[in-house]
Order: sequence, then C-alpha cells, then structure tokens
Amino acid sequence: MTEFLQFTLGGVSFGMVYAAIALSLVLIWRGTRILNYAQGAMAVLTTYIALTVINRTGSYWEGFVVALAAGLVLGAVIERVAIRPVENKPPLNAVVVTIGLLVLIEGIAGIIYGGQFRSFPPAFSLNGLHAGSVALGISRNDVFVAAAVLVVALALAALFRFTSTGLRLRAAAFNPYAARLLGVRVGRVFTLGWALAGLIGALAGLLVSTNTFLYPSSMDSIFVLGFTAAVIGGLDSPVGAIVGGLILGVALNYVGGYLGSNLVPIFGLIALVAVLMIRPSGLFSVSHGRQV
Amino acid sequence: MPSSAGAGAERGGGTSRAAALEVEHLESGYAGVMALHDVSISAKPGTITAVLGANGAGKTTLLATISGFVRPRQGRVALDGTDLTRRAPEEIVRAGIAHVPEGQAVITELTVEENLRVGGLWRHGQGGRSAALEDAYKRFPILGAARHRSAGTLSGGERQILVIARALMASPKVLLLDEPSLGLAPRIVAQVMELIQRLRDESGLTVVLVEQNARSALAIADLGVVLNVGRVVVIENAAVLAADEALRMHYLGF
Repeated sequence: MTEFLQFTLGGVSFGMVYAAIALSLVLIWRGTRILNYAQGAMAVLTTYIALTVINRTGSYWEGFVVALAAGLVLGAVIERVAIRPVENKPPLNAVVVTIGLLVLIEGIAGIIYGGQFRSFPPAFSLNGLHAGSVALGISRNDVFVAAAVLVVALALAALFRFTSTGLRLRAAAFNPYAARLLGVRVGRVFTLGWALAGLIGALAGLLVSTNTFLYPSSMDSIFVLGFTAAVIGGLDSPVGAIVGGLILGVALNYVGGYLGSNLVPIFGLIALVAVLMIRPSGLFSVSHGRQV
Repeated sequence: MPSSAGAGAERGGGTSRAAALEVEHLESGYAGVMALHDVSISAKPGTITAVLGANGAGKTTLLATISGFVRPRQGRVALDGTDLTRRAPEEIVRAGIAHVPEGQAVITELTVEENLRVGGLWRHGQGGRSAALEDAYKRFPILGAARHRSAGTLSGGERQILVIARALMASPKVLLLDEPSLGLAPRIVAQVMELIQRLRDESGLTVVLVEQNARSALAIADLGVVLNVGRVVVIENAAVLAADEALRMHYLGF
C-alpha cells in the first residue's frame, strides 16, 4: 500500500512534466495545426542557458527566470523565421522544418556545450518527504515540479478565458479567417502562441533535467512521452494535455515500480500506438479522426 | 427617371459629395484566373449598392478583393479618398470596411458574446467595448438572450444577425455583405433585408450587398450593379433596374 502511494505520487510529479510538454504542443497545434517536433530540443537549449547562468551567478532562480524568458524569445523567433514561411503550406513542409530544427538545435547545443552529461541542480531539497513515519516517495522538489506546472497551466487558462489577448488567441486558433475579418492581427497572435509554448517547454526542461541529466538529446524521450500525453488528451485540448500527462506519468511509474524501470520507454510507445489505434482523436477531443 | 448618381447623392443627405467606397479599374482573380475585368464602382455614403449577377460573375471575388483577401492585379480600392489597395485584411477592417462573407464565418467554438467581443477588440477601450456590446444587445435582443450560448447552437437566421452585429462592433463606414439571404427562410430574408435598410437609414452606413436574390436586394438598394463574367454590364438606379423588364430578364432571370 505504501509502495502504491509512493509510485502514484512520484508519477504525478513526472506526469506534470509530460503535461507541460503536452501543453506546449497543444498550444501550437491549436493555433497553427503544426506539430512542433523541436519542442524538446528548444527546452534543451534553454536549460543549458539556465545552467550557464546558475554556474555564473550561483542563483538557481536567476537561471530559472532567464531560461523561461529565453524560451519565450526562442519560440517567437522560431515562429517568425522558420515557421511563418510554411504556414498555410502542405502539412509535410512544417513537419520537415520542425524536425530540421530539432536536429539543428541539438547540434548547436552540442557544439556550444559539448556532449557530456551534466547534472542540473534541483530547485528544492531532494530528501524524501514523510507523512508521520510513512515515506511518501517524493521530495520537496517533486512537489515543486508539480506545483510549478499547475501554476503555469492555471495562469494560461486564466489568460485564455479572461483577457482580450486570450480571446484573440482563441479566435485566431479556432477560425483564423474570421479573426482576420474582424481585425485580429493573426500573424502576431500566432507568434505569441509559439512564444508561450516556448516558455512552457523551457519550464519542462528546467524541471525534468534534475532527474534526467542534461545533454543535447536529453529531452528526446521526454518529448515522445509529452507527445503521447498530448495525443491521449486529443492534441486540441489544454485540459486534455494535463490529464493525459498525469495518466501517463502515473501509469508509467507503476510500470517502472512494479515491472522494472527498463520497461518504461517501451510502455510509453505502446501507450502512444494504443491511443492512435483505439481512439485517435484522444480522450478529450471533439473532432473526429486526424492525421498524425 | 433619375440617374443612379443622383439617387446616391440624395441618400447621402448632402453631407459629402465624395463616394465612401471607390473601386477603380479592378483586375483581380484567384490563382491566375482573372475573375474581374476593369470593374469600377463607387458607393456614395449612406447608400445600399446591390451587386447582382449569375454564379461565377465575380461578385464574391469583388468583395474579397475590396476586403484584402484577394490581391488585385491592377486597379485601386479607396475609402473616403484613402488608398487601401493591397493592404492586409486586418488593416482594411481597421480602416473602416467590414466584410461579412458568405457562409457566415461564425466562430462556432466561442459564445455569442465572445464572437461580438472579437469584432470590437481592436477598436474600443474597455469602457467603449462594453458600451458597444450593450448597443448590439439593444439593437438585436435575440443576441442578448443568447449571449452565453455557444455560437454553434444558433440557427441560420440567428447566425446571420450575429455576423452582421459582429461586423458593426467595429463601427465601420462600409459594410460588405455577401449573400446574407443564402439558406434562410423567406420570412427571415425579409427581416435581414429590413435590418440592412435600417442600418442605412438610421446609422448612415454604406452597404455593398451581393445577392443571388436580386428581387429582394433591388427592393432595398439605391444602386444596382450587374456583373457578367467579371465585367460590369449595368450600373443603374435600383428602382429603374427593377422596373426594366428586358434588362432583368436578360441578366437576372426574373
């Protein structure tokens, strides 16, 4: 019973990281119908930037904030420079461009920072938390991971629901033609969407790198799991992305805990294939059928 | 019989002799196929111009070119003397030309109120926005009653009213309406036509009305323009055009 509790709580913490990646993918998918394969690589780059700042200043939080800002800028710049020319082109063009960006950014990270594994500091203590005498199997840092993603997700939800900017983002995402008819500068709105996605991806990179170490391709497997979470949630639904991340995180932690951690990547892929075969529109999507 | 220009000036109430909307020698089309040839139309302030013609005559292309979704090869579009040719659609709306396309373009995922709010986002401060919303609900009580419903649940007639109300949120000078009667029951068509007439008479709006339903359109229009295979073949006072049986039978089929 204690084990089950530990695996569940640990899974929630991991799941929130997948949820963050999923959320960034959903943001971009909803706006531009593009799947950003470079999301993980972008997060690697911003996490390297964080590490550089942390090593130089000795402050985790300075590195944290700089990385989030870098994610924001990186997302906006990539949309303007690389994505704008392939918007409204056949979907394969964007696939090729974002995969190209993935290779390019990881290559650049390797050239600048080298290929070795680097440890990334945690925000808070990694010592296990206890409830009375029961070990919960999670640390203060794990709690921070889950809370940080939750706060960002809620802030994002509030932005979408209650602000004019959020209304522009929704109008442009649902019906760019109607939005332009009504004077919404859809190009700028899409840039903002990519910037926000870059920020959330950067957060995921910061949060997960304590567990995975940091190296140029360290986000690849996290990206695949984040993508899986997004697909479970339906790719169109921010709430679905969060729930998908949590389901996947907890399920994979049970697999890792009860069956062995070397099975986790396989089960992640099995989950992806299973969702695409059984319910390709995801658990939360209202649309029917989709090409991936 | 008065000339078409005379009728327009009367409707303008003498406030301005200049045309609100000026389309000059427009050449335009999709993907290399020219749909419009040397089209010139001027719409006086506070008038309704009905643009008529068969399918494929270029009516929709004309509106899409005015509102910036199709770039003209040649020619000029101007509003109150300001050249708007080749500006982006979102900038042309901001200059004062609102386009209500065929098929309505309701954002079905948003509520009725959110649809309206998008229409006024760029224009008003917070206070002005809520005032514009209240105006819209006063003018269209049916929208007020449905304000928190998803726009996807509205009927065809309600949607038509929503998209017109939404376009008005930006307080445009010129309203381009593409087939507002399409798919609506005759009783609703009459209501929509009456609404367009009211917008001209009460708000001094300049309307360019593209219609298959020539009879209804001419009944409320000041000026009738007939397009045939991308060319203007008739520009005539609407009442004269409606009364001219030979013209009507030849181009409009009724």
